[in-house]
Amino acid sequence: MSFLRSLRALFHRDRLEGEMNEEMRHHIALETEEGLRRGLAPVEARRQALLKFGPIDATQDDCRESWGVRTLETLGQDLKYGVRNLNRNRGYAAAVLLTLALGIGANTAVFSVVNAVLLQPLPYERGDQIVVIRQPERTSGSNDLGFSVAEIADYREQTKSFDSVVEYHSMNFTLFGGEEPQRVRTGVVSAHFFDVLQVKPLLGRTFRAGEDAIGAEPVLVLSNDYWHKTGADPGIVGRRFEMNDKVHTVVGVLPPLPEYPDDNDVFMPASACPFRSNPKTMENRQARLLSSFGRVKEGVSLQQAQADLDAVAANLRRSYPDSFGPSTEPRTVLSPLKEDLVAHARPTFLVLLGTVALVLLIACANVANLALARLAGRSKELAVRAALGAGRRRLVRQLATESTLLALAGGALGLLFAVAIRGALATFAARFTPRAAEIHIDGAVLAFTLFVSLLTGLVAGTLPGLPKWDRLARVLVESSGRSSGGRTQSRLRSGLVVWQLALSFMLLIGAALMLRSFSKLQRVDAGFKAENVVAMPIDLNFEKYSNTERRADLDRIEHFHLSLFRSVRELPGVVHVATAYTFPLNNSFQNDGTFQVEGAEPGGALPSATYQGVSPEYFDTLGVPLFQGRFFEERDRASDTKAAIVSASLARKRFQGEAVGKRLSFDRGQTWRTIVGVVGDVRHAGLEREPGDTIYLPFSEFPGYTATLMIRTLSDPMTISAGARAAAHNLDPQTAVSAARSLTEIRSDSIAQPRLTTLLLSLFAFVALAISATGLSGLMAYAVSQRTQEIGIRIALGAAPRRVLEMIMKEGLTSAAIGLGLGVVGALGISRLVSGLLFGVEPTDPLCFIGSAAVLVVVAVAACWMPARRAVAIEPVRALRME
Amino acid sequence: MADTKSDLLQGTLDMLILRTLSTEERHGWGISQRIQQISKDVLRVNQGSLYPALYRLESQGWIASEWAASENNRRAKFYKLTRLGQSQLDRETANWERLSAAVQRVLENA
Repeated sequence: MSFLRSLRALFHRDRLEGEMNEEMRHHIALETEEGLRRGLAPVEARRQALLKFGPIDATQDDCRESWGVRTLETLGQDLKYGVRNLNRNRGYAAAVLLTLALGIGANTAVFSVVNAVLLQPLPYERGDQIVVIRQPERTSGSNDLGFSVAEIADYREQTKSFDSVVEYHSMNFTLFGGEEPQRVRTGVVSAHFFDVLQVKPLLGRTFRAGEDAIGAEPVLVLSNDYWHKTGADPGIVGRRFEMNDKVHTVVGVLPPLPEYPDDNDVFMPASACPFRSNPKTMENRQARLLSSFGRVKEGVSLQQAQADLDAVAANLRRSYPDSFGPSTEPRTVLSPLKEDLVAHARPTFLVLLGTVALVLLIACANVANLALARLAGRSKELAVRAALGAGRRRLVRQLATESTLLALAGGALGLLFAVAIRGALATFAARFTPRAAEIHIDGAVLAFTLFVSLLTGLVAGTLPGLPKWDRLARVLVESSGRSSGGRTQSRLRSGLVVWQLALSFMLLIGAALMLRSFSKLQRVDAGFKAENVVAMPIDLNFEKYSNTERRADLDRIEHFHLSLFRSVRELPGVVHVATAYTFPLNNSFQNDGTFQVEGAEPGGALPSATYQGVSPEYFDTLGVPLFQGRFFEERDRASDTKAAIVSASLARKRFQGEAVGKRLSFDRGQTWRTIVGVVGDVRHAGLEREPGDTIYLPFSEFPGYTATLMIRTLSDPMTISAGARAAAHNLDPQTAVSAARSLTEIRSDSIAQPRLTTLLLSLFAFVALAISATGLSGLMAYAVSQRTQEIGIRIALGAAPRRVLEMIMKEGLTSAAIGLGLGVVGALGISRLVSGLLFGVEPTDPLCFIGSAAVLVVVAVAACWMPARRAVAIEPVRALRME
Repeated sequence: MADTKSDLLQGTLDMLILRTLSTEERHGWGISQRIQQISKDVLRVNQGSLYPALYRLESQGWIASEWAASENNRRAKFYKLTRLGQSQLDRETANWERLSAAVQRVLENA
């Protein structure tokens, strides 16, 4: 409304101006006539009339204010002055621009991640209606026991709150029909799975109702990623591939979507999976290999849907009490899909957002400080303008306009900066969430950048203290000579620097904690020696070796591996070769189960452990030490020993360290296995986790068609990977050999998340420190220039250069010390926020605090050194002659 | 210019302007003369405050202006009270009376 009036006034402004002039001329004319009537001479009468009217320019200015046009008009003037002024002070402008570009750019970049991952709705239609359904399990702490085929059917039929309840699981199958047999990660889903997600295919179609029925034609839907990886053939629909000895026809390609629930290459209907549709699996209510998703009906709340699930869960528990162990939580719970997608990313991203906000705040303080210093330099100009009638508010506005101008330019630069690092940041985010591909600089991000830039300009422009402006302006007017802005101003400036240093110190401590935590993580003893070992996942064609109930099939698997060992041993530099279910630190493969100790008191929950099938040389290949007994030997398969090897932690917990010769059972005492050896603990589940209890079994006794070949060599293990791959294909061309990776790479990849987070936090802390150091240095340089005369007199009176140096250094370091003190308090307050990201380091770790303090002090000394040297070099005579 | 006698309470000037316009239309000079005259020279209106106040009151819609010939046949800008301005004046007058009566009571009885 008032803006409209302003605009109107802007267009009619000539008329308005003319009328205002005429009105005031008329007033003065009448006043002059009045003087004439009182008998004054015409010239005197006019003089008095003018005098009485007062400063006409200022009055007109005030009148224009109520037109509203003034704001717009002065904005134009302010901008003009601002640009002219900044152009005249390029050094200052460049320093501020750089600071702001870093601050705003970092904020824009991090916000683009937070926006895409945490704020934007899921890229599925009505995504908030999609839920993940779980059966939590108590003892192992696993949050999902999974569902059996029969259970999913029961939930689908008995619940009323869902449009549909669908099943999902992911398996690796070998795809034939391309150049080489290819291992593909396959999402096995109900026909309605894509209806729940509301996904429209890019090409062809998704699954139709009934395609998940037993006996239906096998069909495939390709993920967007896999389709691109294999050449993005637009005519892919209708192509046939062989999988699990059946011909599968491609019916569609998915659009780009988060790689969720897993990074599947292809999807197939549930019935096409030989495991899932095996009659034995389908009958067994305890074969819980499926995950479940549902779409809540429109108008039904999540609470209502949960109540619905509760009722069905109670019902199933009554109907099939045998299918639930004592450890199953008596609940079936749902959680929004979005939680699942981003929960893991949230803490890290929020810490990053907080960090860049602090960096920007520090940058703001610097801009304000630079502005204040320059203000002092411009005191003459400002005083003249104030004397000529420029209102104080106008002066403040002028300065705010300048800083806003700078902030906007800084924002534009920052945006370029953010665009430049978008790719790197998306790669970073991809370590935390499948939503990383959605990260873009979109309208919301641009709006955020604009908002932050304007806010920065305002904060930086007014941070010098709005209430103090009155006083400042007066000081400026009064001391038109060599005003320094007075004590108020310098106290303000050192206050800003103290806060900068305090905030920097907090960031330094955050970075130090992360660095220390990461270095601990890096050096943690994983229980195996990663150097010179290569791991290659090898998958035999399942159909050929499928019947793992038949010893003949098992023998063929075993035979394949023994032959492979022989071929590999002939390759140059091979020291040991072994096979196992999987390689260490493979998070996506955990084979957990319960066991029973012979002679243990019955009752209570059974202990659980991770199982690993390994060949005899496994421990030598990985460098896992033997503590007691022996490793597996060839005879362990043929003989009736039924051997097992346990990890040291299990031996300690269950057998007080004396495990060799003791017996275990996996089938509640029907058969028993003898422990033949105790080996060192291995962190199979991740470097940051305590090593879990592990039971090793002879691979030859329980061969799996999915396994990982591991080879220890004398030097770089990657050189023999091609030879090993060829050997495997030689033995069976239908074998899928996945990419070989060295264990050092696997180990390093497993801590990529904390590494990247640490890197980013350290980078931001460094930027903040650099900005603060500039602030401190600028403050001291300014203080020295203000006190040139005083210092000159001191030197003239015989003060030793050392004394002068000490004096200046003391002043600067006092600010640093106060900042440090405040920073310690602040860091103690907020370090608990990052404790979730730390490994093996307390958030109050004294070493980190002391180290950060040392860094801050060194930087502060360095920052004060130059100005202090300049103070010492002051020549008394010249100093006294100044002005 | 502004001697001690003419210091007006914040907001009082608005009320006085509205009051002088409630009897007849006046131009700026006329308003200041009228206030000075009625107050027997106790209240003098500073032009630096008068015109900004007039422009503000107009933009608030309490007074309106038009150009007309003045008493000596010069073109002058005349201000008049609007209906909105009348009710604003009533409100301010009532307020003022309440306030001054209260001050009066305190001065007499405290």
